[in-house]
Order: sequence, then C-alpha cells, then structure tokens
Amino acid sequence: MGMSNLLSVVVFLPLLGAVISALVPKGSPGAAKWVAALTSGLGLALTVWLAAAFDRTASGMQFVTDVVWVQQAGIHYHLGLDGISIAMLGLSSLLGLIAVIASWKITDRAPTYFAMLLLLQVGMNGVFVALDFVLFYVFWELVLVPMFFLIGMWGGARREYASIKFFIYTLAGSVFMLVGMIALYLQTGTFDMVELARLGAGGTLGLGFQNWVFLAFFLGFAVKVPVFPLHTWLPDAHVEAPTAASVLLAGILLKMGTYGFIRVSLPMLPDAARVWAPWIAVLAVISIVYGAAVAFAQTDLKKLVAYSSVSHMGFVMLGIFSLTAAGLNGAIAVMFSHGVVTGMLFLIVGMVYERTHTRQIADISGLSSAMPVMGGLLAFASFASLGLPGLSGFVGEFLSLIGSWQSTVIPHWMTVIAAVGVLLAAAYTLWMVLRVVLGTPSDVVRGLPDASPRELTALAPLIALTLVVGLSWSSLLSFVDPAVKALVAALGGAA
Amino acid sequence: MGTWTLIAPEGLLLAGALVALFADVLLPARERAGAWVGAGFAAIAAAVSVAAGGGTLFGGQFAIDGATQVARAATLVLTAVFLAWLAGAGLKRGRVREFAALVLFAALGSLLMAAARDWIVLLLALETATMPAYVLMGFDRGDDRSLEGALKYFLLSMVASLLFLYGASFVIGMSGSTLLAASRLQPGAIGVVAAAFVFAGLLAKLSAAPFQWWSPDAYAGAPSPAVAFVSSVPKIAGLFAFARVAAVLAPQTAAAGPLLVAAAVASMLVGNLAAYPQTDVRRLMAYSGVAHAGYLLVGLAAGTVAGAQAAVFYAIAYAVPSMGVMLVAAQYGETLDDLRGLATRRPWVAWATGLMLVSLVGVPPLAGFVGKLYLFTAAMRSGLVWLSVLAVLMSAVSAGFYLRVIRAMFFAAGGNAGPAARGSRVASAVVASCAIAVIVIGVASSPLMGALAFGR
Repeated sequence: MGMSNLLSVVVFLPLLGAVISALVPKGSPGAAKWVAALTSGLGLALTVWLAAAFDRTASGMQFVTDVVWVQQAGIHYHLGLDGISIAMLGLSSLLGLIAVIASWKITDRAPTYFAMLLLLQVGMNGVFVALDFVLFYVFWELVLVPMFFLIGMWGGARREYASIKFFIYTLAGSVFMLVGMIALYLQTGTFDMVELARLGAGGTLGLGFQNWVFLAFFLGFAVKVPVFPLHTWLPDAHVEAPTAASVLLAGILLKMGTYGFIRVSLPMLPDAARVWAPWIAVLAVISIVYGAAVAFAQTDLKKLVAYSSVSHMGFVMLGIFSLTAAGLNGAIAVMFSHGVVTGMLFLIVGMVYERTHTRQIADISGLSSAMPVMGGLLAFASFASLGLPGLSGFVGEFLSLIGSWQSTVIPHWMTVIAAVGVLLAAAYTLWMVLRVVLGTPSDVVRGLPDASPRELTALAPLIALTLVVGLSWSSLLSFVDPAVKALVAALGGAA
Repeated sequence: MGTWTLIAPEGLLLAGALVALFADVLLPARERAGAWVGAGFAAIAAAVSVAAGGGTLFGGQFAIDGATQVARAATLVLTAVFLAWLAGAGLKRGRVREFAALVLFAALGSLLMAAARDWIVLLLALETATMPAYVLMGFDRGDDRSLEGALKYFLLSMVASLLFLYGASFVIGMSGSTLLAASRLQPGAIGVVAAAFVFAGLLAKLSAAPFQWWSPDAYAGAPSPAVAFVSSVPKIAGLFAFARVAAVLAPQTAAAGPLLVAAAVASMLVGNLAAYPQTDVRRLMAYSGVAHAGYLLVGLAAGTVAGAQAAVFYAIAYAVPSMGVMLVAAQYGETLDDLRGLATRRPWVAWATGLMLVSLVGVPPLAGFVGKLYLFTAAMRSGLVWLSVLAVLMSAVSAGFYLRVIRAMFFAAGGNAGPAARGSRVASAVVASCAIAVIVIGVASSPLMGALAFGR
C-alpha cells in the first residue's frame, strides 16, 4: 500500500470505527469504547508513520491522491499533506484518541456516543488534508453534525439551546463560504485548491472580485475561530459540552477556522488579504484584549478557559495577518500549542467536575491540598497557557508578536496592545491558579481522590508535547517552516 | 412493439391500479394485497421505463429524452417504495386497496406530465395527477379537518388549472399550434400576461409562494400517508413540466425571469420563516415544501440547461427525504410531542429520520447539499449572486426548524407517547432505504446528473 493511500486510511478509519461502534449489541455497551480506542490509536500510529516518512525539506504537497469524484461538476477526491497540514493532522489524531480515553466512564448510550466521537474525527482529519474545495467543505460541515449531537445528547443543563446555537451559527458562517467557493469556481473553472493557490499567486483574479470573495470566506472562517464579535456561540457550546467534546471543540474545531485562512484566504486571494489585513488585525487585537478581560470576570472555571480561547485565537489571527514568515510560524505554533494546552485544561476541569459536580471557582478552592497531583497539573497547564518560556505556549505568541511587529500591514501600536494581552493572560491565569490551586481548601474538595492512572494516561502525552515543543521549537517548526516560506513568497514578499 | 414500449409504463400503472382496485375480489382475505400488487406493477414499470429508452410518440406530443427518463424512473421508484410502505404499515382506517389505486392513478398522471410536449396533453396530465390527490387528502371521510383540507386543495387546484389553461390558451392562439416547442409569444403585454398566467398555475401546483397558503391547512387535515405521497412524489414531474414550459416561454418574454425570481424569493422567505412555530410535522413539512419550491425556482430562474438539470436533480433530492420523514410521522405520530424520545424507543428509525432532516438542511455529503451546490452554481453562473446568497442564508435558517424535530427525537427523554407503535419490518426497511438513498445520491451524484440530458 502506498503512502498516499495511507492518508485516506487515516481519514476514513474512524468512519469504519463509528459504524462498528454503532452496531455494538445492546448487551455489551462496554465494547464501544474499545472499538473507539483501537481505531483512534491505530489512526494515531499511522499518522506518526506518515510524519516519519514526511520530507521536511519540501514545501509542496506530499502523499497526494487525486481521482475524479463528480465528473460533471469538476469535483475531485484530492488529498495531500504539507507541513502545516501534518502538524494539524497530528494534533487531530492525538486529541481524538485522548478524547476517547477521557470518555472512558461514559455509559449513557455509549455506542452512539463513541460513534459520534469517531465521526467527528473523520471530519477533523479530512479538513486538514483535503485539497479539493468541495471535499474540504464536505469535511468542514461534516464536523457540525456529530458535535451537535455530542452537545445536545450528553451536554449540561442548557445543552439543547447551546447545541442548536452552535449548529446554526457555524452553518450560517459556512454557507457564505459555499458562495465564495462557487464564485471562485466560476471564475477559474476549478475546485483544485493547489491550482487555485497557484492562480492566486499569479495575480489572475481582480482585486474587486477578490475582495468580496474574501469577505465571504471571512464570515465562514471567522465564526469558527471565533473572532470578536462572532464569538458568542463559543462560551455556550463549551460550557454545555461534555469534556471530550470541549477538548475537541477548542483543540481542533477552532483551528479549522484559522487553518482556513492559511490554506484558502491567503494563498488564493493574496491581494485582498493585504487590503483586509489591518482590519482583521484590529479584530484580532480586540479578541485578545476582550477575551482576556471577560476571562477575568468569570466565576465558572470552564467559562474562563473558554474565554481565554477567544484571546489566544486572537494571537493566531494576528500572526496570520501579519503576512510574515515569523507571524505565520507563530500562528501555527499557537494553534498547535493551544490545542494541546487547552485540551489539558478542559480535561482537568472535567476531572475536577466529575468529583465535585461544580465548576465554580469559589467552591473548589485549595485543590492542591486535597489533590496535589491534579492541582499541580492544573498549575502546569495554566503556566503553559499564559506563555511561560520553556513551555509550548511561549513559542507561538512570541513569534506572532515578532511577526506583527515586522509586518508592513499592521501598525506598531496594535502589536503593543496585543503584547498587553499577554500580560492580561498572565494576570487572569495566575489569579485563577491562586484561587483554585492554592487558596484555603473548601469543604467540597476535602478528601477527594487524586488523579487516577487513567486520567494521567490521558494527560501524559499532552504534558510531554508541551515540554517538547516548548524546549525545542524546531521539533514543530521544522515541519511547518518550508510551507510557510513558500506561502509568504507567493504572497509577494509582503513582509 | 417499437416505440409503443415508451408508453408501456403508463399502461402498467393503469393495469396495476385496476388490479389493486379489485384485489378484494381476487384475494378477499388480504386487505393489503392491493398495495403489494401496486408496488409490483410500479417497480416493473420503473424497469420498463429505463429499458425503453427515448423517442417520440403521437406526432411529438409525447416525447422522452434522458432527463424525462430520469424524472419518470424516479417517480416510479418512489411510487413503488411508497406502496411497499403502505403494504407494510397499512392505514389506520383500512381501505388500503383504494388508497393504492389512487396513488397509482396519480403516478400515472405524473408520468404523462413528464413526457408531455403539448399544452393540451400537459393540462390533461396535470389533472390526472391532481384529481386522485384530492381524494387522497380527504381520505378520512369522517374527519371534518381532512375534508376541509381536501376542499381547500380542490378549490385552489382548480383555480390553478384554470389559470394555467387561460394562459395556455393565449399561447396556443399566438403560436397556432398546441405543441410546446412551437410556442411563440408575441411581444408586448399579451405575451407577459400569457406567461404570467401559465406560471401562476404551475407555481400553485408546486405550492410555491404566493400560492402556498392552501398547503399547510390541507396537509394538517389530511392523513399522513397521503401527505407523504402528495407532498413529494408528484413534485418531481411537476417541477419537470415547469422546467420544460419555462425553457420555452422564458426566452421569449423579459418578464419571465423577474417573475420566477420574485416567486423564488417569496417562497424561500415564507416557507422557512413560517415553518418555525409549527409543532405539527405535517404543517412543518408543508412549509418546508414551500421553501424547497423556492430553491427549485432559483434553478429555473437561472434560465439555463444547467439550471433546469440542477432543479430536476434537487426535486429528487427533496422528494426522497421529504417522503421518508412524513412516512415516519405517519407511523409514529404527527406532532413533535409524539416524536419525543423516539431515539430511545426506535433508535434506527430516529437516526434515519435525523439523516433525512439533515439532508433537507443541506449538510454535505448528502443529497440535499449536492443538489444545492448544483442549483447555486447554475444560478451564480447566470449572475444571480444575491439570489444565491439569500438561498444559502435561508438554508442556514431552515436548520432551526428541522433541528427542532431532531431535538424532540433525540434530546428529550420520555415523551407522552407510550411504547413504540408496533414497527412493521417492511415500513422500517422503506424508511431505511430512503435514508440510504439520501447518502448514495449525495456521494455518487455523477450517474444521476449524467443521465439528466435534456433533448428538444
């Protein structure tokens, strides 16, 4: 079997798992989680194999599959990987497995639950490797359905409201993307994303046309990121979602939005990207500061992490629209690191909630006295989140700020405000650590059991990645950098 | 034999209807035998319609090209599937034989409608398709609401037919021929009036705005199996005939385009917004039908062959899940309360229904999405960008009310319905096959699209 077929296997293996999981007989509901764990584990192993075989010096697509899917409409089944894709695919495979492990105690309609979790993986994997625009859209939308059911069926008290809001918000955004996609197709005659990027770099599309297509894509991607003021679905969805869904929502789904900007908006519509970059940078800076400010005010731990995501994703947007190599490398590093670190945070919040049945910061103070390991891990994840040097969070935010300072399209004062956002992040995060981890032990946390081996298994790979990426930037950026350089070159050296 | 095989499917349906009607004489103990017989005849007719190929009959009044074949085959397959469901699930108040016969008569009219290339034949086909539908809608003769709905449907339908006939009479007069292909509109007001009347009649048959008001009342009163059939299957041929007529008339009068666009806009807005407060699945699906008529009109408004192909494709992509969802409602209850907790009582039925609803929203890779992709591509190619934007926005809006049904089935526990209605294996298989068809049409749209070749 060729390596390019292996890529298809990685994408669709979870679909097979989902079908098997859904067919698990009623008598043995415990089998579903094993099916899910095995398929996710195998998927991760194959992804690692792909990464090992990946040529880090090349900037183009590797492991490409391209066959005609719908002749009449010029749609292809076209997959491939570059360094940016493989970083995201790796993250998606890893968090997919961790989400399964984190759901080990789910017994309520377990076969359906794990089938949904696996179906979600198909969409997540697919988005990052699709090279045909329609295929990309198919995977993009495919994600909505299982997430809708995960929130709606296994979520918290306001799950019905949150799930429908999530679905309609993101659908409303992505239908604009559909219009933009059709417009590009009618203008160029192709859905091939590599070809579209080539045409974009060649300057064949007029600025007026680029501008409105860019706007359509912006609506589709920005809702997903989410960029202020399109973020209001996020706190609701996060708070109501079950832990595993929160992990994937923050870890992967938000990244689909920023990946869209990198894979679609920048290469295909470079002139419009330059025009809009300062305005999007404004929104990015607002997201950074607003997310941080609102995080300050939260009394619910999960909501705090949710709003901090809005802030962190602002750094990604700033890095991307600096249109510089440093900024883009930084953006991708934040995407990766935020996926790992926020995944960790949501897992820990979920584990604490399982024991205390509350997420109110005031109720769970003094965690470390009752659960020293759990408290320590929460502190560790928080330090990584606020961007402590030596941990993964620092790399990306640092590079994003460098990029935005170097950028010719973003004024310096915006970088300064964004840098203040780093301080705000440190402040609200440390204040949270102070109250939750240290603090006087509350009645709720006293005498609760510390982290179990299963919980530590779920967290261990994330902890390791946080350290590895934090200590050796190149472990991640050596994959990403050639693709980023090529993209920046195609943007016309806008740096 | 020769070209007569072209019209053999109609003959088979007629024979099937008559056999079904007298099935109690032949098989007195078997109440549902009529439906089985009808399903068998419809299935054979479907095979024959595919095997017979294309050609013309009756001096060009009746013609079959690739696209017509698709429309006819789809109508026949869905009719057969519907009758199989009927045979499996039966009717609450019996009289399955008559029901099956009426369905076959309506399907017969639909087949003729798809092949009609002559104004008079088209009118006759339209009536043949609609008249059995009045009876189906009023099938619960003891129920006042059913009768009220049927009467509304009858009156509006009659008016629509007369509007159509009035418009057609102008066209025939101006062109001196009853053949569609020979239609010549004179420039000026008279041409506009003729086209407007013809379109108004066809819009009403399609339950498109501003002629949509009859459908919610008629559907809400009617027995659900009748709604399942009437709201979906005849729409394929109806849309197909509309596409034929529009292809002939629209290039000849500048008013046609704006007229179609206006109807599309009104249908999408009214259908999607009015569906929100509905708690009766029949009313909800009635408004959903109005909304989907709007999407179909977007394709026709494009005024191109690609637009017409997309519209026919979408009519099929709409009819399958629409029928499937109504069949579920017919079996498990018509209100959202009845469907509450269906996922725990009948998980597979609930998942199949959820899948069909999601296809109606237009989520890829299902049939509804692919249909919309074709539709909006055609519309944007004709410069109707803002109309496409409105259409995709309305698709997002539509998610709200389709998801309410899903929410009732999946998210709510319990519900006021007792244990699940006894499931018939055949009925469940029919619902499952509708759901599978939604996936297959979406993932493998190529063969169907390729077959949709428009001849003359």
